Amino acid sequence: MSNAESIPMRSFRVLTGVVLITWLVLPLIPLAIWSFARGWFYPDLLPKTWTLRAWEYAMSDTAGVLDSLWLTIGISLAATVLSILVGVPAGRALGMYKFRGKEIVELMILAPTIVPGIAVVLGIHSVFISMGLNNTVWGVILVHLIPTLPYMVLVMSGIFANYDPAFEAQARSLGASPLKTFWYVTLPAIRPGIIVGGLFAFLVSWSQYILTLLIGGGRVETLPLLLFNFATAGRNDITGAIGMIYILPGIIILLLTAKHLSGRSGAVGGFGQI
Amino acid sequence: MKQKIKAALLASSLLLMPVAGLADTADGDALNSMTWDEVVELAKGGEVNWFLWGGSDNINQYVSEYIGGRLKDEYGITLNRVGLSDTVEAVNIVLGEKESGVMDAGSVDMIWINGENFRTMKQGGLAYCGYTDILPNNAFVDWTNPAIANDFGVPVEGCEVPWSKAQFAFAYDTARLDNPPRSIGELIDWVQENPGRFTYPAPPDFNGSVFVRHVFYHAAGGVDSLLGDFDQARFDEVAAKTWGILNDMEPYLWREGRTYPASISAMEQLYANSEVDLTFNYEPSGVGLNIENGVFPPTTQGYGLTDGTIGNTNYTIIPFNSPNKAAALVLQNLLLSGEAQYQKARPDVWGAAPAIEVSRTSDAVQADFGTIVAHPNVVPADELAKAALPELQASWISAIEKGWLENVGQ
Repeated sequence: MSNAESIPMRSFRVLTGVVLITWLVLPLIPLAIWSFARGWFYPDLLPKTWTLRAWEYAMSDTAGVLDSLWLTIGISLAATVLSILVGVPAGRALGMYKFRGKEIVELMILAPTIVPGIAVVLGIHSVFISMGLNNTVWGVILVHLIPTLPYMVLVMSGIFANYDPAFEAQARSLGASPLKTFWYVTLPAIRPGIIVGGLFAFLVSWSQYILTLLIGGGRVETLPLLLFNFATAGRNDITGAIGMIYILPGIIILLLTAKHLSGRSGAVGGFGQI
Repeated sequence: MKQKIKAALLASSLLLMPVAGLADTADGDALNSMTWDEVVELAKGGEVNWFLWGGSDNINQYVSEYIGGRLKDEYGITLNRVGLSDTVEAVNIVLGEKESGVMDAGSVDMIWINGENFRTMKQGGLAYCGYTDILPNNAFVDWTNPAIANDFGVPVEGCEVPWSKAQFAFAYDTARLDNPPRSIGELIDWVQENPGRFTYPAPPDFNGSVFVRHVFYHAAGGVDSLLGDFDQARFDEVAAKTWGILNDMEPYLWREGRTYPASISAMEQLYANSEVDLTFNYEPSGVGLNIENGVFPPTTQGYGLTDGTIGNTNYTIIPFNSPNKAAALVLQNLLLSGEAQYQKARPDVWGAAPAIEVSRTSDAVQADFGTIVAHPNVVPADELAKAALPELQASWISAIEKGWLENVGQ
């Protein structure tokens, strides 16, 4: 790449970065301010009275925010791990092989991203009741797989579409066991996809509301449920405080996986198969 | 393979099934024939899952800390407060369980409820009924008062227990307005003189709907001719006038009436940000809490209407399939106690008007109630009660909501 090309390219990237940060971070600033405000009225630029009350409530036993935070992290991690376990083989099948009815399988997997959850959740609820899975954490984890799997499978089938199985054959011919082959050959090649797909799965599970509410019967109280109580009630101060706690894990995970999300990562190209 | 999957599913469902050993606390008929001491004995050490609107930290604290604390200390019962954004969510859980055949192991033990949701529960056979007489504190409830014995026109018939009373009130900002409109007639003129400064949440929002009923009462020239069963001819006549008034008002509303706020909290935000000058709520004490919580400017003042405002009672209900009915009864009895009702009425706690007859409580409780100084910005309940209007039967209310959507909201 010559210098003449890279300077406009670089300023373009800086510009997109600035625009993205503005879009993503600016809306959070009023939320953060609200969480320390006691009343903030037009046309005041900043609240007149500052207080820690919303934070005190958010941290209290009554609010249950911290318990709920750990529960939500547990549920989202479990849903992510299960999504990876199911999504990797499924993505391999869809990305590498041609078989009859493939389009139908792809459509079925994509369906949860097209059909709104509210339309099917009552039916799912009665199925889960008949299996005794309602009101349990496991039921909630299982139902989260419905919206998380499409993302996982999509990313993995993109990865496998650009994947050459000849490497595996080579390792096997050199005497590696199937497990070793997977560990030393397949896994490093698909790792970026697992990280990106897992990130999607985690964030999609993290933000579920209606599925959690109905399948968990209100007893599995994740953070979005607590947040909604106050957001719909117009309590900007407590919504702000819980909201700050709510976005934290997402930001941490995003930072940890950031380098895999750049344009050079294999995970971001190759959606062509679907 | 199929067999294996089935067996695995069955095994996992057995593992996850709630312990069935407490079946007797789920048997409502058996409880109804017990003495109170037997019920309390059965309830001890149990748990109760109470589903209620969770959007107010004050209410949450009262329920979790005061009520939950007393329940634990005095009866060893664990109160699990489940916050809702909308009460209908809990009703839907019970409804789904009934359709799936969950008859005695439901997940909901109690719901804070009234109106439309109560009608759904009662008509759908989702409520546990006939127990009110076993609650000792039921003696404080005046069941001869039609406003207690009927929930939005639906007879209660022992299927729920009153918790609080509320009466619709307006509020304005004394820093912005000197003289707010004090009747529906004055309001109609005021809106035309002050374009863009008023709006109301679109029915079927609970508060938007009750505002439209105030206009409906005004158009009918009083509520008397609307009481009783639904009357199509009378409805058509009054409805035509009501839609006329509201459609004439529309161009003078916030954003020329092209859109309405979707919820009362959306309208309260408009009021707080000076986009509109008036707000209202079915719970008049909300003005005090909103000022204390920084939602409303401290110069907000609540007020009633000279031609009266509509009042209602809200209740707690126990679903038919609650597995912890004994503990739920103990909780209901505690909520009805003079001490708990006094605590709830304190303006620094919540400020909700008691649903019991204070005159029937002990001298100590009556003395406590005597010490309550209302929040200065909240219109006192007894002042509002001087001009109280009854709610209509639910059939009228749904016809008005439907008519508004077709003729005004379209």
